[in-house]
Amino acid sequence: MSALTGLGLVPAAAQSLIRKSGSYLAAIISAALTLLSPSLHAVELQSSVISSVLWSADSGSLKRQNFQFSLEPEFILRFDQQIKLTALSRLRSISLNALAPEKVTDAAYSPYSKPLFIGNSSEFELREFYLEVPSDNYYFTLGKQQVVWGKADGLKVLDIVNPQSYREFILEDFDDSRIPQWMVNIETSLGAWDAQFLWIPDQSYHVLGDEGSLYTPTSPLLLPKSQGGASVEVEPFKRPRRTVMDSDVGLRLSRFWRGWDLSLNYLYQYDNFALLYQRRSITANGLHVDIEPQYRRTHVLGGSFSNAFDNWVIRGELAYFSDRYFLARGLRDSDGIAQGQEVSYVMGLDWAGLENTLISGQLFQSVALNRESATARDKTDTTMSLLVNHTLLNETMELRLIWLANTNIGDGLLRLRLTYEWRDNLKTWIANDIFYGSEEGIFGQFDANDRLTFGVEMGFE
Amino acid sequence: MKPLLLLISLLILYPSAGFAEDSANGGDSALPDGEEVAAHINSRDEGQAVSRKLSIEMRDRRGKTRQRETMSYRKYYAEEKRTVIFYLAPKNIKDTAFLTYDYIAPEREDNQWLYLPALRKVKRISASDRGDYFLGTDMTYEDIKLETRVSTADFSFQTLGSCDADGKPGLQIDGTPRTADIARELGYSKTLSCVDSEIWMVRKSQFWDIKGKLLKTITISNIEQIQGIWTQQKIDVENHKTGHSTSLVFSAVDYQSAVPDDLFTTNAIKRGL
Repeated sequence: MSALTGLGLVPAAAQSLIRKSGSYLAAIISAALTLLSPSLHAVELQSSVISSVLWSADSGSLKRQNFQFSLEPEFILRFDQQIKLTALSRLRSISLNALAPEKVTDAAYSPYSKPLFIGNSSEFELREFYLEVPSDNYYFTLGKQQVVWGKADGLKVLDIVNPQSYREFILEDFDDSRIPQWMVNIETSLGAWDAQFLWIPDQSYHVLGDEGSLYTPTSPLLLPKSQGGASVEVEPFKRPRRTVMDSDVGLRLSRFWRGWDLSLNYLYQYDNFALLYQRRSITANGLHVDIEPQYRRTHVLGGSFSNAFDNWVIRGELAYFSDRYFLARGLRDSDGIAQGQEVSYVMGLDWAGLENTLISGQLFQSVALNRESATARDKTDTTMSLLVNHTLLNETMELRLIWLANTNIGDGLLRLRLTYEWRDNLKTWIANDIFYGSEEGIFGQFDANDRLTFGVEMGFE
Repeated sequence: MKPLLLLISLLILYPSAGFAEDSANGGDSALPDGEEVAAHINSRDEGQAVSRKLSIEMRDRRGKTRQRETMSYRKYYAEEKRTVIFYLAPKNIKDTAFLTYDYIAPEREDNQWLYLPALRKVKRISASDRGDYFLGTDMTYEDIKLETRVSTADFSFQTLGSCDADGKPGLQIDGTPRTADIARELGYSKTLSCVDSEIWMVRKSQFWDIKGKLLKTITISNIEQIQGIWTQQKIDVENHKTGHSTSLVFSAVDYQSAVPDDLFTTNAIKRGL
């Protein structure tokens, strides 16, 4: 594709984005692109088409069917001095109403990051749009992006920079369910250490399945228990709105030391889960509860490590949260939220002693500290995971088993997946996700939502 | 074991080791011994640093092919050799990257990392995975790391005689893993290589699996001097067990342009090219 095409298209596309989102960062990127246009030397366009059909359980029988179609074009512009602009978007259509893109707590999105819902079955989202600028000892990544911290797989302790969409609970790949945010990401070297500084003015938070959605949370660990006969009204989300004062900031220091990959992480952020504050009153009709969803800030201080010994890789991460807000148990707490602190960690052990096979176990624990009143969750919450991954036929076939089990409630999730790559850019998969255990548990609440998926992905260049 | 007895044993054990044309010379005391040949191979000038494009074609027994385009860099440091490979195409593997620090001290375990774009994470890989096949190819992680060199820490080498190294005089050496654990880790019980004795480059190698069955053959061709350094431009690997094969074609080989140190970092493999 000629440079002239890029010259004409890029600023126009970015300007249109600014009109839609009003994003200052997009405006800065657009200005930079206009300046950089003469040095544009390569344009790459790639795309994926993903189609899947899903049969979901309904009281034990696979009654619900869903057809899903995604188009994910990726556009990369390369300029002189290794400056690069990446734009990744996603157009997605979903046939099952209970999984519809708009059936989410969309108030959790910032206006700058919210997808465009088209009808009630489709959405268009600018997933990522960032400019990478290397400069001597600095590397700037400016724009809408994902930042992933930590060493754990599937269990999140430090991978909390970006919020996540739980529209499909945790069944969607994190790369697809993570909500990219507008941010400034600066990396530099400080002697033996690499430093990463993040400034995130984009106030998007975790998005959950809304009422009537297949994966709307119902566990009493996440939602206040209904109080017999009480009327309940949920008020609009109280979102932090100050662009600068309410922004998140983060700092990561990392280094390689005597065989160890080490990191120290700090984040000052709004907890991505909305806290459901309750205001109870007695009316002529009895008890009335107003639910006021709000967000609260916390300091997060943590670190991670990994190293390899013989056939084994040991890895882990730990985080301390200075201000945690837990769902209170019973009615003793006046607003239904108990403040405290939290320490969470993951320890993982990977074993690669068999050819083309990885077996990985993880222990995740979260400990609630100094709670001001009794909480719905236990003081210590433990989840274990097992991953078995085996590749065959020169990695054209992959068999994967993931088992997640919470030992407090005794519930869990079993995931099986077989993927086959027919050609370089054509792969298919069949997957089965099975929830089990008490409906009070994080996994068990979806015990009636087991599913079988068949998918096809094609890539274009 | 007497050389002749050794040769007879080898011919019984590995009858397909027949690419040695003149193995009767195995007892020729004028030939350098295996460890000496290995030392020559490993001291061959590879340049302090190199950058190059690498095209990988994988073909299964039914003729189905898969193509990979990569850019790779290698640089020698005081205590280690660092290698990084960035995958550029096709889309399903694009942005995957592999980084390895290969230490000179044999007792020091190598460090390896793999960036997987689907996870957006740099994963630490056990160096003992070195017998596993590298991203669907017929080369193991160890083969990728060594390129045309040989590991004297893992194998003991013996010269069996002379051989035809693509029309040039060659020396045939066999390699035996030093311990059963090493054999198991690498997946090889034996290697047999024909070494070009003019430029000390391996032209052809055969590998036997730990059960003693012929596993694969590696053929190195298109060897030319680039910027004064003998350089292989094609490596063909044929897996006799699976019928799968891999061709690696090197191009744009450059030993002179500076290769920045910060390419060999986990940050670099995360960012990609």
